[in-house]
Amino acid sequence: MDIRVLRPSDIPHVQQTNITNLPENYFCKYYLYHALSWPQLSYVAVDVSRPKKTPYDAPKIVGYVLAKMEEDPADGVQHGHITSLSVMRTHRRLGLAEKLMRQSQRAMFETYGAVYVSLHVRVSNIAALALYRDTLGFKVGDTEAKYYADGEDAFSMRMDLDYLRNEALDEESEEEDTVGKDE
Amino acid sequence: MAANQVLPSKEQTLFRHVVQNYESKQYKKGLKAAEQILRKHPNHGDTQAMKALILSSQGKSEEAFELCKLALKNAMKSQVCWHVYGLLYRGQRNYEEALKAYRFALRLDPDSSQIQRDLAMLQVQMRDYEGYVQSRRTMLQARPQHRQNWTALAIALQMSGDLAGAEDVLQKYEESMRQTPNRNDMEHAEAVLYKNTIIAERGEMERALEHVDSVAKMALDKTAVMEMRAQYLLALDRNDGAVEAYTKLLRRNPEHREYYEGLEKAMGLDRSKTEDHQKLGEMYHGWAEQSDRVDAPRRLPLDFKTGDAFRQHADKYLRRMLKKGVPSTFANLKQLYSDPEKKETIRELVEGYLSEQPQANGGAERSEPNGSADGSHATKSKAQDSATTWELSVNYFLAQHYDYHLSRDLSKARKYIDRAIELKPSETDYTYHMTRARVLKHAGNVTEASKAMNEAMEMDLKDRYINTKCAKYQLRNNQHDDAVATMGLFTRKEAVGGPLGDLLDMQCVWYITEDGEAYLRQGNLGLALKRFKAVFDVFVTWEDDQFDFHSFSLRKGMVRAYVDMLRWEDRLREHPFFTRAALSAIGVYCLLFDQPQLAKGGAANGEGAEGAAERKKAAKKAKREAEKAEAERKAAAAKKATPAKKDEDGEVKKEDADPQGVELLKTAGEKPLEEAMKWVEPLLEMSPRSVEGQFAGFEVYIRRKKYLPALKCLLAVYSTDPEHPKCHEQGCRLRLALEKLDESLPEKVKQIIESEFLQKFIP
Amino acid sequence: DAPDVLPPNAEDRKAAQAMSSLDAKGGEDDAAPKKEMDLKALNNAMKNLGVAQDQKTPSSAAARKEEAPKKLVKVDQADVALLADQLAMSKTKATELLRAHDADAAKAMTAWVTAAV
Repeated sequence: MDIRVLRPSDIPHVQQTNITNLPENYFCKYYLYHALSWPQLSYVAVDVSRPKKTPYDAPKIVGYVLAKMEEDPADGVQHGHITSLSVMRTHRRLGLAEKLMRQSQRAMFETYGAVYVSLHVRVSNIAALALYRDTLGFKVGDTEAKYYADGEDAFSMRMDLDYLRNEALDEESEEEDTVGKDE
Repeated sequence: MAANQVLPSKEQTLFRHVVQNYESKQYKKGLKAAEQILRKHPNHGDTQAMKALILSSQGKSEEAFELCKLALKNAMKSQVCWHVYGLLYRGQRNYEEALKAYRFALRLDPDSSQIQRDLAMLQVQMRDYEGYVQSRRTMLQARPQHRQNWTALAIALQMSGDLAGAEDVLQKYEESMRQTPNRNDMEHAEAVLYKNTIIAERGEMERALEHVDSVAKMALDKTAVMEMRAQYLLALDRNDGAVEAYTKLLRRNPEHREYYEGLEKAMGLDRSKTEDHQKLGEMYHGWAEQSDRVDAPRRLPLDFKTGDAFRQHADKYLRRMLKKGVPSTFANLKQLYSDPEKKETIRELVEGYLSEQPQANGGAERSEPNGSADGSHATKSKAQDSATTWELSVNYFLAQHYDYHLSRDLSKARKYIDRAIELKPSETDYTYHMTRARVLKHAGNVTEASKAMNEAMEMDLKDRYINTKCAKYQLRNNQHDDAVATMGLFTRKEAVGGPLGDLLDMQCVWYITEDGEAYLRQGNLGLALKRFKAVFDVFVTWEDDQFDFHSFSLRKGMVRAYVDMLRWEDRLREHPFFTRAALSAIGVYCLLFDQPQLAKGGAANGEGAEGAAERKKAAKKAKREAEKAEAERKAAAAKKATPAKKDEDGEVKKEDADPQGVELLKTAGEKPLEEAMKWVEPLLEMSPRSVEGQFAGFEVYIRRKKYLPALKCLLAVYSTDPEHPKCHEQGCRLRLALEKLDESLPEKVKQIIESEFLQKFIP
Repeated sequence: DAPDVLPPNAEDRKAAQAMSSLDAKGGEDDAAPKKEMDLKALNNAMKNLGVAQDQKTPSSAAARKEEAPKKLVKVDQADVALLADQLAMSKTKATELLRAHDADAAKAMTAWVTAAV
């Protein structure tokens, strides 16, 4: 599975993957809004092992993360937000959700200086909750009453991006070593 | 005509409120204020125009047009009225008329930045780049202090093909800076990278590399900078630098194939050369060693390795994946099946695993936490757990192997999937039941397949993925009512027309297409056409969706993504979603041309009276259900005490006046081939290498007696797939048609047919 | 004040708000220029841009424009009608096609029919 940044041309299939997996669906335009406002933040997992059927095969999207920056953060702290994340049932156990999230989080940090990333999850969605908490390292915060259209509550979850600051420092010191050699 | 169009000051203030209310989408307030003015000054054109604009935003476009025409009568020389007239046309996607109205408005008020802006947006939407460049120059001249006006002119020049001009504009702006902007100036950070893409598009790799290095520090999109550098280094044959650049990229994302391809090239390695395989293998091995979780460097060597090396690597790979119980293992390998030797090796290996003792595969290993969230393995011991996982994976893999068309043996597929189901991993894991349904479908038993998929769905009613699969299989078995009910378990139940309305709203193209194809199979051409038209309309919406971004993206400053979008939109209809619906729709129109009685409600496929009666019954039932769903929806809406569902522009949803597609079919029957051309044109323009598309084009053109376009389609297929049997068939039909002409063709046309067709095709 | 049409729940409201802000006017007309800009230099740069345009810098669009008059081959209206009919295309397109092939109808039609995909 190829993990790469989402391009506008991926949107029809991302939209299809979303409506196949999740009950929260969006118009094409909402995906465009993400892809054109924060083009670095959304990623897709593409099944590149499919035998070609036509000269115009569209990339088959088996997972995606649709992400944004919070435009007017209530707490005044720059942070990212996951609008939607899903992986096809047939492509579980490859760690795709985590791989997608890591790429997105790094871009939030590098490009926009995000301090943390937040998301909402249905209180009934035990599996997703476990994924975010146990696999991805999110912490559960407040409950938002009647967040979803059908009246269900949401847990709001967040994860600090400190670990990226350290990674960046490591990379920088490495960089300086090589630059030092040139000079 | 009203002699005096100037309002007293009180009304002038009110009028300004109307404009403000419109801009902030407070339509009710705006209407009230407009009506207040009109009570005293019933013929005030500008107010009428503004009222019309608000009405159109509320979805009352007919009323809006009436009123705007009246406004124009009252105030022929008002730029407001002409501007609104243009906006109304633009709302109806009648761009040509909108353009004329804007131009008129601009002539009346050449300094209006708003009208100029709306004109520019329309020009770029219509891809009138020459006009767009002009507009952008004017806008820049009016406000050179704003960077976005410079960037916009550069984009206009780039899209019109003038890359040098585009770079020059960006350069001039940069030169006017007194100091470097702030580090977190996103607009600047993006603009410098945009300029870099222009330099690269001009083919000047050396300069692009220098430039990207010079701006790397202020660019905030680190990944893009690293990718650009790597590409330029590779293009310039600076292989050491390229190796380093791709290595850095892979450390960040070791699952991206493009980086490995870049690295291979930079290392001078070639998969097609056997002598390079050793080094390639080592390279990938090195990356696999970096992490236990990474897949790409483990999977990729299977593409180039052969013989024993392939067998060893495949064995290792398969064991690793099957032990983990990765359900996509087969999907990830089937591409290799085009090589019969690899296909055979994989079969031998996996069948060999069947006889292995569970311990032999490494004993107990912790399975990944991700994916087993259903807690199904909680009560078993770990050793048992992994033994089951192994046996299950092996049987599951073999079931998929024997189900795949290149290695199909459906009775074996049945055997293995039944065994997997026997192993009963969990009450809610429907994976194996789902595959069982798939095997049944491939055996041609759509009814049993649909039943089996329904059973799979019932194992986990909270999961939308299996819900979707189930609906798809129901449609394949022509169970429209069941399918829509199935989908309804997850739709929002807010649109008019029940779950189907929701699916249309949410642009669920796959469902609409499958539903149409199922109707077509049953000879219900009205509903089939209705669905295909819905797909056509989704594409129109997707094309129109870019409109707001022409200004939005400049404000946001994310211009590289915007240029990407423009290029994607230009090729929007090459998407397989479009082609698939197009082929079916064109088929219907040809059928309507050949058998005109079908448009009057007669059934296709020689359906008898019984079938017709049944269809009527089904239609009645559908109507009853639609009414029921509608009543429920209304009740729900009333309960919520909020306004009825409106779309994003506050447009009130209208009832469907033709739910069965009867009118649509009648209209289609009047000029089926003209209707067909709406599909044929984009199909041939966007997907000329699609053999199916060319065949469909031929079918329409030959019926229209347009022999040269028909010949063009034929030649297009001939150049890509000359052996295709349909190529021969259509060639014969064209010759026959030419022999039986009613009136002879013009001499010049005859010559072309003689030289390009008859000589080549008929020896 | 909020627009008339926002949905009641938070999930949808976020999306609806974002969508309704897409076509907002950006206050382009009255926003102040960035502080690092030298306005005089900017105005000069713009004038130079205009001059460059008038002098037709060797940019490709300008180059195309210079070539354009040569391509304005006179075409026979009968040929336009023939192509429009036989190739099922608009008269505008037929005219373009003819111009691109020296106003030679047979040449134009052959090229069109045999164009590589």
